[in-house]
Amino acid sequence: TKRRKQHQQKHSGPKAEKKKAKKQRGSAEEDERKRNPKAFAVQSATRMAKTFHRAQDIKTRKHHIPLVDRTPLKPPPIVIVVVGPPKVGKSTLIRCLIKNFTRQKLGDICGPVTIVSGKKHRLTFVECNNDINTMIDLAKVADLVLMLIDASFGFEMETFEFLNICQVHGFPRIMGVLTHLDSFKNNKTLRKTKKNLKHRFWTEVYQGAKLFYLSGMVYGEYQTQEVKNLGRFISVMKFRPLVWQTSHPYVLVDRMEDLTDPDKIRTDPKCDRTVSLYGYLRGTHLKNKGQVHIAGVGDFQVSDVNFLPDPCPLPDAQKKRALNEKERLLYAPMAGVGGVVYDKDAVYIDLPASHVNQQQEVRPTTELVQSLIDTHATLDAKMAASKVSLFSGSATLDPTDISDEQEGLREKSVWDPKTQRERRKVLFTEEEEDEEDEDASGSSDDEADESVEEEDQNEDDLSTFLKEARLESTKATAGGGPPVKKQKLEEKEGEGGETEELAFADSEDELENSSEESESEGEAGRARDSGHCSEEEEEEEESDDEEEEDDDEDSEDESMEEEGSAADDMAKSESEEEAEQGMCMIRFSLNSCSDLLWKEGLQQKASEAFLRQQEAAPNLRKLVYGSGILRLQLHVHTHLQYSEEEEEELGGLFRVSRPQKSKKFQANARDCSRFNPDSSHNWDLEEMLNSIRDCFVTGKWEEGQDAATLLKEDEELYGDFEDLETGEIHKDQTGQQDEAEVDDEEVQKNKRLEKKRRLKERFDAEYDDGDATYFDDLKEEMQKQAELNRAEFEDVDDETRVQYEGFRPGMYVRLEISPLPCEFVTNFDPHYPVVLGGLGSNEGNVGYLQMRLKKHRWYERILKTRDPLILSLGWRRFQTIPLYHIEDHNGRHRLLKYTPQHMHCGASIWGPITPQGTGFLAVQSVAGTKVNFRIAATGVILDLDKSVTIVKKLKLIGYPYKIFKNTCFIKGMFSTVLEVAKFEGASVRTVSGIRGQIKKALSTPPGAYRATFEDRLLMSDIVFLRSWYPVSVPQLYNPVTSLLLPVGQKDSWSGMRTLGQLKHDLGIRNKPNTDSLYKPISRAQRHFNPLHIPNELQKALPFKSKPKQQQRKGKTPKDLQRPSVIREPHERKVMALLHALSTVKNYKRNKAHTLQHAKHKGFLQQKKKEEEAKLKRQKEAQKKLYRVMGQLDKKKQRSSLKGASQDD
Amino acid sequence: MASQGLSYDGCNFFRQRLVLATLSGKRVKIKGVRSREDNPGLRDFEASFIRLLDKVTNGSRIEINQTGTVLFYQPGLLYGGSVEHDCNPQRSIGYYLEALLMLAPFMKTSLKATLRGVTNDPTDPTVDLLKSAAIPLMKQFGIDGEGFDIKVVKRGMAPGGGGEVVFKCPVRRSIKPVQLTEPGKIKRIRGVAYSVRVSPQMANRIVDSARSVLNQFLPDIYIYTDHMKGANSGKSPGFGLTLVAETLNGCFLSAEMSSTPQGQGDPVLPEDLGRNCAKLLLEEVHRGGCVDSSNQSLALLLMTLGQQDVSKVLLGPLSPYTIEFLRHIRDFFQIMFKIEVQKPLEDERKGGDKVLMTCLGVGYSNINKSIK
Repeated sequence: TKRRKQHQQKHSGPKAEKKKAKKQRGSAEEDERKRNPKAFAVQSATRMAKTFHRAQDIKTRKHHIPLVDRTPLKPPPIVIVVVGPPKVGKSTLIRCLIKNFTRQKLGDICGPVTIVSGKKHRLTFVECNNDINTMIDLAKVADLVLMLIDASFGFEMETFEFLNICQVHGFPRIMGVLTHLDSFKNNKTLRKTKKNLKHRFWTEVYQGAKLFYLSGMVYGEYQTQEVKNLGRFISVMKFRPLVWQTSHPYVLVDRMEDLTDPDKIRTDPKCDRTVSLYGYLRGTHLKNKGQVHIAGVGDFQVSDVNFLPDPCPLPDAQKKRALNEKERLLYAPMAGVGGVVYDKDAVYIDLPASHVNQQQEVRPTTELVQSLIDTHATLDAKMAASKVSLFSGSATLDPTDISDEQEGLREKSVWDPKTQRERRKVLFTEEEEDEEDEDASGSSDDEADESVEEEDQNEDDLSTFLKEARLESTKATAGGGPPVKKQKLEEKEGEGGETEELAFADSEDELENSSEESESEGEAGRARDSGHCSEEEEEEEESDDEEEEDDDEDSEDESMEEEGSAADDMAKSESEEEAEQGMCMIRFSLNSCSDLLWKEGLQQKASEAFLRQQEAAPNLRKLVYGSGILRLQLHVHTHLQYSEEEEEELGGLFRVSRPQKSKKFQANARDCSRFNPDSSHNWDLEEMLNSIRDCFVTGKWEEGQDAATLLKEDEELYGDFEDLETGEIHKDQTGQQDEAEVDDEEVQKNKRLEKKRRLKERFDAEYDDGDATYFDDLKEEMQKQAELNRAEFEDVDDETRVQYEGFRPGMYVRLEISPLPCEFVTNFDPHYPVVLGGLGSNEGNVGYLQMRLKKHRWYERILKTRDPLILSLGWRRFQTIPLYHIEDHNGRHRLLKYTPQHMHCGASIWGPITPQGTGFLAVQSVAGTKVNFRIAATGVILDLDKSVTIVKKLKLIGYPYKIFKNTCFIKGMFSTVLEVAKFEGASVRTVSGIRGQIKKALSTPPGAYRATFEDRLLMSDIVFLRSWYPVSVPQLYNPVTSLLLPVGQKDSWSGMRTLGQLKHDLGIRNKPNTDSLYKPISRAQRHFNPLHIPNELQKALPFKSKPKQQQRKGKTPKDLQRPSVIREPHERKVMALLHALSTVKNYKRNKAHTLQHAKHKGFLQQKKKEEEAKLKRQKEAQKKLYRVMGQLDKKKQRSSLKGASQDD
Repeated sequence: MASQGLSYDGCNFFRQRLVLATLSGKRVKIKGVRSREDNPGLRDFEASFIRLLDKVTNGSRIEINQTGTVLFYQPGLLYGGSVEHDCNPQRSIGYYLEALLMLAPFMKTSLKATLRGVTNDPTDPTVDLLKSAAIPLMKQFGIDGEGFDIKVVKRGMAPGGGGEVVFKCPVRRSIKPVQLTEPGKIKRIRGVAYSVRVSPQMANRIVDSARSVLNQFLPDIYIYTDHMKGANSGKSPGFGLTLVAETLNGCFLSAEMSSTPQGQGDPVLPEDLGRNCAKLLLEEVHRGGCVDSSNQSLALLLMTLGQQDVSKVLLGPLSPYTIEFLRHIRDFFQIMFKIEVQKPLEDERKGGDKVLMTCLGVGYSNINKSIK
């Protein structure tokens, strides 16, 4: 075939031009816009505004209020709370997870267990038992909740209760875990159950919430792969900051030590205890000496806080991927696992159970004392515990518990033979039928197993009991509760002079003591207390040095204070400082001589650091606060109740020894904020004036801000430019210079780089500013603040930093709390979490709280005013008496007797001051699980006040005793004239609705008054006066002290009983008002007399209204009925003929009619046609006429134009 | 509840203690109030101050023993609202207003306080000074809103009084952290020269003499003359000057001086007063910082009560009052400030040493403000 001619692209000519132009014009869309502008034009301004608004709305809705990121660099371990009904597999799961992360096995999960799970991850596992107190406390501190659900059984009430508790106290992350999935034999039912449970879980948490499945057990543990997966899920999880947690410090206590003097306990076993609590600090910064609340115990003031080395430190920054065996740490002192534990003044070494013999060697030889200490701490607890294990399964099925009708959740008590307890199954109305079917099918094979299982169970029980008993006996020999506590190496140093000291510290101490004899012994001891002790000797040494420095500083400080007031001239103090420095140096050199050789370097370093510090901060801090730590110790916050004691006063700020007179003068000096100048500056001198010249805009500016330099910079930046108009190119001056020298080149390069950087910065700023919104600005601001927060105290050492910002979250702290009730120690049960929450500045006080409250929709009864209620608010759980009220439209708070069914109402209580917006939940009782759904109400704090404004309606009733026309004398409402005087002018009303006004009191009878009404009253009327009576809120604030109860009875706290309960318990029944009783209604038959209308009236009435005389027509009697006509055959024929004829006639008539109609129609059409033709003709004629006329007109015009042109 | 209290000796720094107690909710016991003096117990102005505190709070309990040497104060909640108070003329309204400035942002409802008494006296910061320096300072902390103002309705000089001041302040839930580390250069100086019950010429004479000193530094100086007559002029004669220097970064440094009260000490010439006041302003500039010396404690308090963020403020040398205030803040809020001295550079001509105060706020939120 013939070869086709190849396409040749045009490079010139119109076609090429066109193509080029098209290419240059750019995108097609723009082209569209240009070509068809109308299509893209604004059709409707309103529509456009609307779409714009909508777009903006959607965009803005995605924004969250930016918050300053305050998470510490080293965050505390994540708290994972494992929740679920008993025997669902909580402990097993924790054990498996711990084994997964640390390769270690843990027996009894006792208290929080902290592990290092990754290079940057630490986890704390806590098991939550079935007690509602525990659930509430742990919901407040949880970061992640693992919610275990027994799939073979379905949801239990505890699950929903816990979810609702979580919702109130900020919603932590929640992950469901389905266990007991191996009990399903049928695959289809398994899938169906999974799906059902998942969807129900989703509606409760959020759509798509993670639900994890643990399919089966292998040798009593979950499958390794599944646990591993769960672990991975946990470690990648992100957490949201919760409002309450981020604004309060809190500690989940993982270790407890009783510091009380053993002798004191011996003499008085019920004495108040001094206890130190340990744990990771979470939330925010904790201030020393702050107020804390221990959930389940009460409010206390922390007497001292220290931070300790992290018992479970994260591995140092390394590049490798996985943790090695050494770094997989496990810390659970309550469960007896922790390795070496450091304390302020002791080191505890934990040895595994196999080392029991060695352990005893380590213990002090004074066995008598030791045994005393040990037995005191644990005997009671053990007794109580053993009791529990004996009687735990004694509950019986209560058939009355099964409720009948409810709308939301329903509970079904199911006796579970495996767990030996009553399970509170949740029933959903729609699911119920399925449930029962399955039950029926499942029960048969269940029952078959049951008998066998039960036997096993019994055997198991027996064996476990024996095991426990053995374990306990070994424990008893090992001495003490789970954390195997060693005797402290040292007693408190401050208690006596002859304390045990480490050998190397001795010499210094002596020196110290001799150098400051003025100070009392106790103070020195206290000062030493503050430094935290560490295992390594070097650190000890260093801290000692520091202390010494501090002491030096202090003494110098005192000398300063002796010489003049704190307000002394700064310059003076500085010179003194310098003198002191010299002294310090001398002392240091002395020290170093006497010290061991290997410490010399350290000493040197310390002194150098000290000198550096001295130079950097000229001791203003000391001037203000005294010498750091010491001053803090010195300054004891005196409790008011103790303020009378001499010793406390000696420690106070204003007890520093000074001449009596000057002190008095100081104490009562004039209180004035003005800073009167010292007359040293003479402002007439020129040099003085010159010294502040640069403070004014007229003075010299800094290098960076000077106008001249700025101008120059601009020139540099924009030096090169091309003048487009003239085509002239301006070159930068520097560019033209010859860069011959090598040194110069380097400089030039730097300069250029700098210039580029600045140019870029400027461009960035301009470019970003273009679409920077308010939101972006805000975010940036927060970011800046967060960076500043992080950077500000980073280079300060921890001791000092703690004073500036408090103990920061992530630190492992030791809190000493001094007057704790002895029950806290004697009844300590590590299975119950101890949550220690810090309180804000005002939160330690009590006042009236106004809140918005709603009865929980699953709680079956409404709540009654003045019935005691247990609230969980903030950190606290307490019983209080609420008054419910509702706000009327005029702002009046009207008392309600009961909470509304499905509505919010107000509630006022007397309770702890808590910031507004804090959520709370209410339960009627925390003891046992008798009720269906235990959470009675939820709500939020609205307002705090020291007074309440609730009123209730009060109707005063009176009776008229004399009635004039509209005036009335009324008695019985008041009893004195004075009372009436108070109500003069008040409006009154009768029952029938006649309104009136109180006018004036009458002298007799007392309390009677004159009133006017809008109408005349009857003597039988009752007059009432509607008024409002203020109600006072009962001041009951009763903290739930569940942790103080004996072991095994911690879930049986009961406070004040409600009136109903009291009556029920005491068997009191009120006699009802007989009027209120319901009786059978017996109504007498009424009969009416016939209406009699007088004759006269009858006559006048119209006929319609006249009483009708005639009787209604009844049925016509047979004899009056007309007989029917029966025709003869002939007649019948005639009739038939007539009928036929008439039919024919009718037909004919109809036919004629239609014919006529059609004819008429045709006629009308014809007529119309003619009409149209006529019109057409007329039109044509007119057209012709007009054309002619038009031509004439034109002609005329043309001729006129011609005429005109001719004229020209 | 184991709510602890604090105990102090002597009536010095009386206001600080009560104000901080109110804000922190801690109880305070002040013992030995002038117990060794011939005239023991609380003075009238202190009693008047307690009464004012009682008016702005709800539910506070105050117990004073018979001789007035022991005072126990259990704070209630700050209520605010409309308050009228006749301040004792022993101290000027500034004494009372300083405390109100600290309390006002944390009330339940916005405060409108009408204070009557001495507006200007030589000892306390006058109302004009607080108006010109404290209000802009508080605005830096995010306390702003309509009607945030101090208004001098009537002016009353020292011994007699008879002045009236209206102070309005909106409430805030939380206070912003600030970074006031760079005061900037002074761009303008403003002032008020006031005179009551003397010749109106006095004010002009003050202005002239003050300008003569300040003009060496800055041309942008404007001093308003404020001569009040008739009912607005109070009960005693007198005159005075308040000067405020505003910097480019919006910091205000102020100085003031008023004539000696009638019948107490030597009379002052208006020229001298103007010159001395101008020198006081120079002294204040010499001290420097972003906050002037009489408002240091207010700035520190607002820093303390901020959110849990770092705040920084550059101050001049700390006044004795401020130092004691810092100690009190530590007592009541357990907050310590990081105090760093900034020495001026060699060739810098910017006055004396400065102090950089840094602190982490306590995360205070106004618990009195109700949510609806």
